Amino acid sequence: MKKRLILNDFKANKLVTISTCIFMAASAMLLGLSILLFGSLSSSIDSLMEEAQTPDFLQMHTGKIDEERIAFFSENRSDVEAMQISRFLNLQNSQLTIGGNSLINNMQDNGLCTQNHSFDFLIDAENNKIKPNPGEVYVPVCYKTEYGLETGDVMQIGTEKLSVAGFLRDSQMNSMMASSKRFLVNEADYERLWPLGSEEYLIEFKLKEGSDINAFATAYEDADLPGNGPTITYSLIKMMNALSDGMMILVILLASAVVLFISILCIRYMILTQLEKDKREIGMLKAVGISRKDIRSLYFSKYLLLSAIGGVVGVTAAAIVAGPLGTQIRELYGDAGNMSLIYALMILGSLAVEGIILLSVYRTLGKMEKMSAVQVLYGHGDFGKKKNLYLPIGIITAAAVFMILVPWNIESTISAPEFVTYMGIGESQIRIDIRQTENVEVSANAVAKEIEQDDQVLDYALMHTGSYKTVLPDGTSYNLMIEKGDHSRFPVRYIEGRYPDNVGEIALSILNSKEMNVNAGDTILVYKDLGDNLAAPVSCKVSGIYSDITNGGKTAKARFDTFDDKAPVMWSIIYLSLKDENHADTWVKDYQAKYSSLNDGIKVAKIADYITGTYGQTIRNIQKAAVMSVISACLILFVVMLLLLRLVIWRERNDSSLKKALGFTSADIKEAYLKKTSKYLLPGIAVGIFAGIVPGQGLAGVLLSSMGAYGFHFIINPIAVFVIAPAVIIVAAALATWVSLKEVGRIYAYECLRAS
Amino acid sequence: MSEILKVRNLSKGNILKKISFEMQEGEMIAIMGPSGSGKSTLLYNVSGMDQADEGEVLLGSTEIVSLSEDEKARLRLSKMGFVFQQMNVLANLNLIDNIVLPAVHANKKQKRELYQRAQALMDDFHIGDLAERRVNEVSGGELQRACICRSMMMKPEIIFADEPTGALNQAAATDVIEAFLKINREGTSVLMVTHDSKVAGMCERILYILDGEIKGELKLGKYTQDDAKEREKRTSRWLNEMGW
Repeated sequence: MKKRLILNDFKANKLVTISTCIFMAASAMLLGLSILLFGSLSSSIDSLMEEAQTPDFLQMHTGKIDEERIAFFSENRSDVEAMQISRFLNLQNSQLTIGGNSLINNMQDNGLCTQNHSFDFLIDAENNKIKPNPGEVYVPVCYKTEYGLETGDVMQIGTEKLSVAGFLRDSQMNSMMASSKRFLVNEADYERLWPLGSEEYLIEFKLKEGSDINAFATAYEDADLPGNGPTITYSLIKMMNALSDGMMILVILLASAVVLFISILCIRYMILTQLEKDKREIGMLKAVGISRKDIRSLYFSKYLLLSAIGGVVGVTAAAIVAGPLGTQIRELYGDAGNMSLIYALMILGSLAVEGIILLSVYRTLGKMEKMSAVQVLYGHGDFGKKKNLYLPIGIITAAAVFMILVPWNIESTISAPEFVTYMGIGESQIRIDIRQTENVEVSANAVAKEIEQDDQVLDYALMHTGSYKTVLPDGTSYNLMIEKGDHSRFPVRYIEGRYPDNVGEIALSILNSKEMNVNAGDTILVYKDLGDNLAAPVSCKVSGIYSDITNGGKTAKARFDTFDDKAPVMWSIIYLSLKDENHADTWVKDYQAKYSSLNDGIKVAKIADYITGTYGQTIRNIQKAAVMSVISACLILFVVMLLLLRLVIWRERNDSSLKKALGFTSADIKEAYLKKTSKYLLPGIAVGIFAGIVPGQGLAGVLLSSMGAYGFHFIINPIAVFVIAPAVIIVAAALATWVSLKEVGRIYAYECLRAS
Repeated sequence: MSEILKVRNLSKGNILKKISFEMQEGEMIAIMGPSGSGKSTLLYNVSGMDQADEGEVLLGSTEIVSLSEDEKARLRLSKMGFVFQQMNVLANLNLIDNIVLPAVHANKKQKRELYQRAQALMDDFHIGDLAERRVNEVSGGELQRACICRSMMMKPEIIFADEPTGALNQAAATDVIEAFLKINREGTSVLMVTHDSKVAGMCERILYILDGEIKGELKLGKYTQDDAKEREKRTSRWLNEMGW
């Protein structure tokens, strides 16, 4: 009979039943999806890094190298399992064409390498170690979609041609956020093409399990081994790998929290309204002697069944949606391997969501226990105050706007040109990189001179980066990559303090500040290079802390005159702005053409292209998540409003009928409903916008700090935030209102007379 | 004949003031009084649907007032039957399912026997062919008789009825009251609140309540068809005396 009672109740309250089920399914789906994607991402990355045997410690180095000293260091350390020196032949992007696409606008450091012997393998889609034949090249898999490449395409380096034999997964440099990309060739080809590029070294170490990576890094620095380049560790590589897709997953997770909140709220209101409607029936059940516990369990069984259906639908939907959303994860990092654990976790997560909802249902149902049979039977009491059903409309509108705005704001922030200032890059229109050339300093100064004489240029700043030794308070030495120049011209974003404005001032990236345990206002000793192996200490006051993800995130900034010395320049950057920004494209093209013919390691790019190149993957993923958020938010709002307005109309049916008897038209009654709905909808939108900007920023700040962007502020698109988002919400709400209010036309004047 | 119900000094707020009375097994008592006098409140408190402030109610040897909500619910399920003015039924169930609902709840294993008993009761009360009908497909009188069948399912010792004919037309009310007389003749005690002097006149005893106190009592003896007119006159006269 319980079954029949529940089934008949489903039939009688189709809308409420379906809505409850949708909420339960949507909550389970979103959390399930987050877990599934997170699980596959993390497991894919782990299996890729395991198969490829990613190094634990990696020192990039430009310049001469003493292999014997490194080998000696390695052999004398008990924590080293294996060491290798891998060669990387940096190529000029202007000289590169793949499948007919020129890489001139590509912001990555592209270069050739050969397969490693001991670890750090470059592997194919099936996790096999690739062995290229002569004349073949394997291209990083991230370029496959970016340039629409296929096996058999031709890669051209100057006049030399190689055939694309396949695509490789590089456990270190798969992410677009890693600034280099390795192309794999046969050893003979490497030697043949060697004169076309400039060589860098990756000094790689695989450590024994349980080794202290920080202790190793310090020992490496103390041993005065080659260090002319960024240092990268296993955990940093893993983070880079996880970030581009991780952001999308975090956005989905955020959406799932909002949906869970909405579901609990809605289901609670639906139950309370249902109890109000069923008051007399509950009273009767109590009167005839059915215990409170049994009545509660009768209602609870209904929700238990709905939750089971919702859970199954949600988990299935999550598995289906995860397919398209996980395409990039599979392409970049390969299959997750054993998915059964991930599916089990997804099911557990969905069960937990259903558990939370059911707990709330159980508590809400408890309301009916507090009243005696007589109270419910004769309407002497209510299940709490009669619920204002418009209030949840307001709250859910706010939640829906919040759900739409947070991913939008994250996306607009990452796409905005200013965002680079959170990443340690000056805000300018154009950036010129001078690297991998015989004499960086000379080349850079020559470019700077040329720019200075260019009428179109409004302002520019030249920066040279060199490696410096510093001593930490505990006596250990520490390598600092200091970018020297005028940092007042195109400043980055400072979390604390300001740029180094005076001689003897230094600004540190947040990672360095944390690692060195130094704050703004503190003083550190940095050794100037006087040449001939002589060094002189310079006392530097920390003027500010900034966030940076470039070059491993461990950088520093100072004025030229603080370190007017003989330290070799590792690379140079010129930031510049034009008088007329509209000429940027032509300007960049002209300069690219000029420098490509010189083959001098100079890259010219618009900052906007730099952003697309570096964060394109992340932005695309967040856009996917944003589209999902908009669809979910609108769908949820539509269902909730449809439901709540139906409940309001049902509750006020007698009043509406009376109004009709007194001469009101359906349009009059509908207008009153519209006014009342707007009274809650519009403030809901306002609250949602506020929440999407202020607390949303805090929340997004937590997400973005994982990308290295600290002290973050939303860069919002006002049209999207103040016009499009409210418009989308209003359309969804208007549609729901229109459908709901149709019911008013079916209320007749005689009903109130019959009821009385 | 022994007492089935003994009420001593029962009080509830300002509505009931130290009410005491007894009821014998197989007796049929009507409670009358003007609106707001406390009739229904007395019924709810005696049956344990509401919690009295003071006093005691003995159903057989069980004291009801001091029992917990769940204990009272169990007692209502096993020993009491209820019929209300509004035909409180579950709209999602058909007539026979509504009738067997509390009984099946109490005794899930004997479902088939319970359905057979329900059908027999429905036949007794002339609604046997309506078993599968939805509750909105039958008349008020038929529905109320179904409620009486439901109250009889657990073979209760006593039935509490609150204005069972209040919402019915004359013909339907007659059918319902005949149903009550039938179950009373078969031995079930009935305590009924009513506004209808004709219905009250068919009961063995009438208690008249005013301002929360029993102001008078009329003993009419067991109802027979032959003395119907005489009882109606006596009742009417007595009610006039009571200020009805």
